[in-house]
Amino acid sequence: MKEKSLLMAPLGILICGFGVLLLKGQTFAVPSYLHWLPAGGAWLAVLGIAAIVSLFLYYILHHIGLDTDIYVIILTLASIGLTEIARLKPELLVPQVCWLTAGLIVFFLVIRFWRPLRSLLNYPYLLGLACIVILGLPLLFGTEIGGSRNWLVLGPVSVQPSEFGKILIVFFLAAYLSSHRRVLTLPARKILFLRLPPLRFIAPLICIWSLAVLMFVVERDLGSALLFFGIAVLMTYMATGSKSYVFLALLFFGAAVVISYLAFGHVRVRFDIWLNPWQDPSGMAYQVVQSLFSFGTGGIWGTGFGYGHPGFIPEVHTDFIFAAIGEEWGLVGSLAILLCYVLLFWRGIQIALTRQGDSEALLAAGCASLVLLQAFIIIAGVIKFLPLTGITLPFISYGGSSMVSGFILLGLLVSLSRKERGRSNE
Amino acid sequence: MNDWKLKRQILKAGSFLLVLCGLLTAYLFYVTAVEGDELASNALNPRNAAARADIVRGSILDDKGRVLAQNRPDGSRSYPMGPSMAAVTGYNGDKIGSAGIEGHANRELLGLTADMTHMGPISQLLQSDRGNDVKLTIDADVQQAAYDGMAGRRGAVVAVDIDTGAVLAMVSSPAYDPNNIESEWQTLSKQEDSPLLNRAVQGLYPPGSTIKPMIADVALTEHVTDPNEVFDCSGVLDVGGGMSIRESHGEVHGRVNLEQAVTESCNVTFGTLGMRLGDEKLKKGFERFGFDREIGGEVLMTKSHFPAFGSLSQGDQAQTAIGQSSLLVTPMHMALLASAFAHDGTIMKPYLIDEVITPGGTVVHKTTPEKWLTATTPEMAKRIDGYMEEVVTKGTGTAARVSGIRVVGKTGTAENPAGKDHAWFIGSAELRDRRIAFAIIIENAGGGGIEAAPIARKMILSLT
Repeated sequence: MKEKSLLMAPLGILICGFGVLLLKGQTFAVPSYLHWLPAGGAWLAVLGIAAIVSLFLYYILHHIGLDTDIYVIILTLASIGLTEIARLKPELLVPQVCWLTAGLIVFFLVIRFWRPLRSLLNYPYLLGLACIVILGLPLLFGTEIGGSRNWLVLGPVSVQPSEFGKILIVFFLAAYLSSHRRVLTLPARKILFLRLPPLRFIAPLICIWSLAVLMFVVERDLGSALLFFGIAVLMTYMATGSKSYVFLALLFFGAAVVISYLAFGHVRVRFDIWLNPWQDPSGMAYQVVQSLFSFGTGGIWGTGFGYGHPGFIPEVHTDFIFAAIGEEWGLVGSLAILLCYVLLFWRGIQIALTRQGDSEALLAAGCASLVLLQAFIIIAGVIKFLPLTGITLPFISYGGSSMVSGFILLGLLVSLSRKERGRSNE
Repeated sequence: MNDWKLKRQILKAGSFLLVLCGLLTAYLFYVTAVEGDELASNALNPRNAAARADIVRGSILDDKGRVLAQNRPDGSRSYPMGPSMAAVTGYNGDKIGSAGIEGHANRELLGLTADMTHMGPISQLLQSDRGNDVKLTIDADVQQAAYDGMAGRRGAVVAVDIDTGAVLAMVSSPAYDPNNIESEWQTLSKQEDSPLLNRAVQGLYPPGSTIKPMIADVALTEHVTDPNEVFDCSGVLDVGGGMSIRESHGEVHGRVNLEQAVTESCNVTFGTLGMRLGDEKLKKGFERFGFDREIGGEVLMTKSHFPAFGSLSQGDQAQTAIGQSSLLVTPMHMALLASAFAHDGTIMKPYLIDEVITPGGTVVHKTTPEKWLTATTPEMAKRIDGYMEEVVTKGTGTAARVSGIRVVGKTGTAENPAGKDHAWFIGSAELRDRRIAFAIIIENAGGGGIEAAPIARKMILSLT
């Protein structure tokens, strides 16, 4: 079958990548809780399990008639992620494979329990409240890891609530905007050249925007703030088509940026690094400058997998993994990955366009946009197109929260690809 | 229903995101392809150095395969001969750059066969993890004999193979120890006797009387004298303007022909010839012997400093002809001058790198000797060579005599503003299997015949 041959992409990447690493004499350590597995081949066993689970899922998707293209693209990105983790932090390979397997299972669960999940769309205010609670948690109980106070430490695992909050935000926006579309597009009042409905209708939106700004200032999580804000503005526009909202939102965000630039030192530092990293290339701007060197050294064709020196960048296996790809795989490899995200996005938009219900269409478009927007923000930060932000590259960076939340998002999207049997619009 | 409206808005917002990605792609292209080379070669970028460090640097060998520089297992570089070979091997450091063969043959030592900066992963196929060995023309014995002969005095020694131009010895003194140059760098670079300068090829000295064989050649070629002309040396030559040239130690040579003038190093005779030749012919003569030319590549010889030909007074012309005035030359060039007379008037291009050998033992580069220039005719060369033989057998250079070997030479005692005279000796020797030419200078040491000539003898003995 033609579609099945697409699976050769992730498989080929894994075989080639691990082939190169094994030929270079790389070994992969196994965490202590897996020591009952045969030493030496344990990582291969774990990888095999993940492969079997993913193949099994492929056949399920195929069987129920859901979209498999998105799934194959995720597998491709995840296999790139695994080879990169294996190359950059061999000791984290096995944990990452475990997270991938967990993600696959969650992905399956989302598809299996799609009906109850879907009914959540009927309760927008509940979603909004949950969103505020989850995002508010780190404000109260947060732990600072890597300069951002956006982690919750729950016993042995650290969770980034914002990774899950972003799903709730998309859910909330899809539910709220679809049920209030008509009110929000009513040009009730005219302020200067802006056409705005009564305040009580846009209050929830302003609430979400403020939340984003709050995260930015208090938790120092610029990446998530940008992501939340961006998705909120995008989805508002998708639902209302009103440029007044976009303008208002940008004005709001712009004001927040200017005020925080003037008021908070760490914000100022971030922007100054972005505007001129060469003022302090071995100090504050070290990461960004080293990242730029990576791309410069890689050039168009890259140095070759395993032959670069991405280790000069701190945190290269999480936020800066794209720099490692840029160095060893070159512009060609970086663009291929960007293309994967764009294809993923485009497939999601296609699904959105086939949905009959407003809320489902918005949810699909929101999920697709969120993944692309997240990839865009971190890639832009790494190449100094935008100020640097600390978020992960979906499906590639190391990290459990981001892997699982990514699979939830795309589980939703794939569920929405189910063929509708002439159901009426609600 | 305004369902179509929602979809149009979704499409619009989606297109906006795609435009953002398009901008990102353009910027990514700018960073990697446009600014890429600049970023890659930025001084703060440790990646190139790290890539180099991944390669085990090749060894530097002498002509018999003895190790002059090699990597220790820990990656540091060792130079078994230390300071005596410093002028040849040079050094290689992360912070201080590189010099000598280490600098010149860097690509070969790292096994970088071609410029592979834009070949991407393909370059990994062509790159081995061990660099090539570089085999030099240097003979460690001759080098050591010359270095020992200097005994720490400032100066330089050069020995070349007349028939090929292969450099057998190149000593600059005082020398630094390349084994610990990085820790000593601050001291070395500030030291007043500049140990980092390779005097053999970069040092500029007045040649003194060692230039006289060339002046004899020029005078005969330009027909301002003939071999039979007899000069009357009264010990003083009036050069006009109230100036005069004197013989050293107040000697008076009496009636001498050109051959005796070379043997006795008669300043009066050569001062006279200089004035007869005049600016133009002197300049032409120096150019014929290549003194206006430099040599690039691994030898890196700087060109001579000429007096302002065209506006010289008679006194300056006479001074130039006895190797004084503002004429300054390198020791390497004086060795090449000596080789011209022993090699039928042609000078071979000096070189240091004989072969480049891969770790597998394949010779990927072998230097073919080539002619540098034709300085004079074979007849003239033979005649001057004969004059210089007299210097060693019964003139000022008897200290270089080795029984059973034909040695020719010319001593020099060059006046200089820095203090005592520089001791010079240049010449050539016919060994059993090869012919060599050499130049020795010891700064402020006094008479060339007494101080410099014995080093030539030591070098010759080390080769027999």
